[in-house]
Amino acid sequence: MSSEATAGAHAGDHGDGHGDGHGHHGPKWLAHHFDTPAQQFDAAKLGMWVFLAQELLFFSGLFVAYGVYRSWYPEMFKAASHQLDKIMGGTNTIVLLFSSFTAAMAVRSSQLGKQKETGRYLLVTILCAFGFLVIKYFEYQHKFEAGLLPSRYFHPHMDHLVAGSAPLPANTGTFFGIYFMMTGVHGVHVIVGIGVLIWIYLRNQRGDFSKEFFTPVDIAALYWHLVDLVWIYLFPLLYLV
Amino acid sequence: MAHEATHAPKEDGAVHAHISSAGFYMMIFAALIGLTILTVGQSYVDLGRANLIVVILIATTKASLVVSFFMHLRYDNKFNALIFISCIFFIGIFFAYTMNDTERRGELDADQNVKILQKTGEEAPGGFVPNTPASGHADEHGAAPAPSGAAPAGGDHH
Repeated sequence: MSSEATAGAHAGDHGDGHGDGHGHHGPKWLAHHFDTPAQQFDAAKLGMWVFLAQELLFFSGLFVAYGVYRSWYPEMFKAASHQLDKIMGGTNTIVLLFSSFTAAMAVRSSQLGKQKETGRYLLVTILCAFGFLVIKYFEYQHKFEAGLLPSRYFHPHMDHLVAGSAPLPANTGTFFGIYFMMTGVHGVHVIVGIGVLIWIYLRNQRGDFSKEFFTPVDIAALYWHLVDLVWIYLFPLLYLV
Repeated sequence: MAHEATHAPKEDGAVHAHISSAGFYMMIFAALIGLTILTVGQSYVDLGRANLIVVILIATTKASLVVSFFMHLRYDNKFNALIFISCIFFIGIFFAYTMNDTERRGELDADQNVKILQKTGEEAPGGFVPNTPASGHADEHGAAPAPSGAAPAGGDHH
């Protein structure tokens, strides 16, 4: 898998003996503070995994809040969860899993140097991300109409609630506070992900990537998989109590 | 498991990332969809307290598929795996310490002026004794209107 592009990369002096520090002795995408493409790739991956760890810890606060309140008010969580639409949530789960799959395929195509294919997979991923947000919009709209809002804004309208559902205790607003916070922060990540994927798509169409250099596609996909990862837990915890 | 591991020497400085086959990714995707259907199906079966455990197990299985194969962690630098595992470990500590507190507070029994652990009926350790036990609502969840799980006292919302 070696290539002419990288062959010159390690021919340079490793001691950084040249004064200006701008001696590019490799392909143009190789930053001059890295000796080899492999080193640059590993550094990028390491940085991304540290960031993803931070993201998980950031979400964990919401998950701990969920755990505490679910343990305090199990019946309330059960009743409130029945107000959520399993079909919509399940559809969204499948949409997001599919987009995760296409993101992985985009990385694979990029690794193989298939630029057109990468672009197509990235487009599908972006479309699925938009689809996710559209479904989310309809879900939120129903919650607003039914008055199923966080904490003190909670004022359920009986005619909008799911037929035959258990009566909602007065503190059900707590559940919807957690619901909107979790899905909202996750939704923000989806929006950021769309932005990142569009950027990567444009760079791919510009021909920035090759068999030797696909790091940005890989890193963006890692972020997108994390969005998927969080939803994998959110869906059963919120919708399937 | 379909590997196409590259055994090229790493000394040439080029990137040697693992490339999984398209069929393998499809298999993982099919497994993820299967597990999603399983978890939705399970939600119609009431297993009581085991519900949450089953849900977490299924979700964790899905998550490990995504992390191992879609995110390439299985074939990646082991140090990245270490970062991920330690992150999960610290989330575990976060959960354990927080729940260790919140699970042991108990509900106020105003007649006896003690806090009772709902799940066991024992007196709760620690906590505080409210100044006015007759106020009835001075429990440990701030201004929570109802004791755990019960219908709210002030049910004027319906």
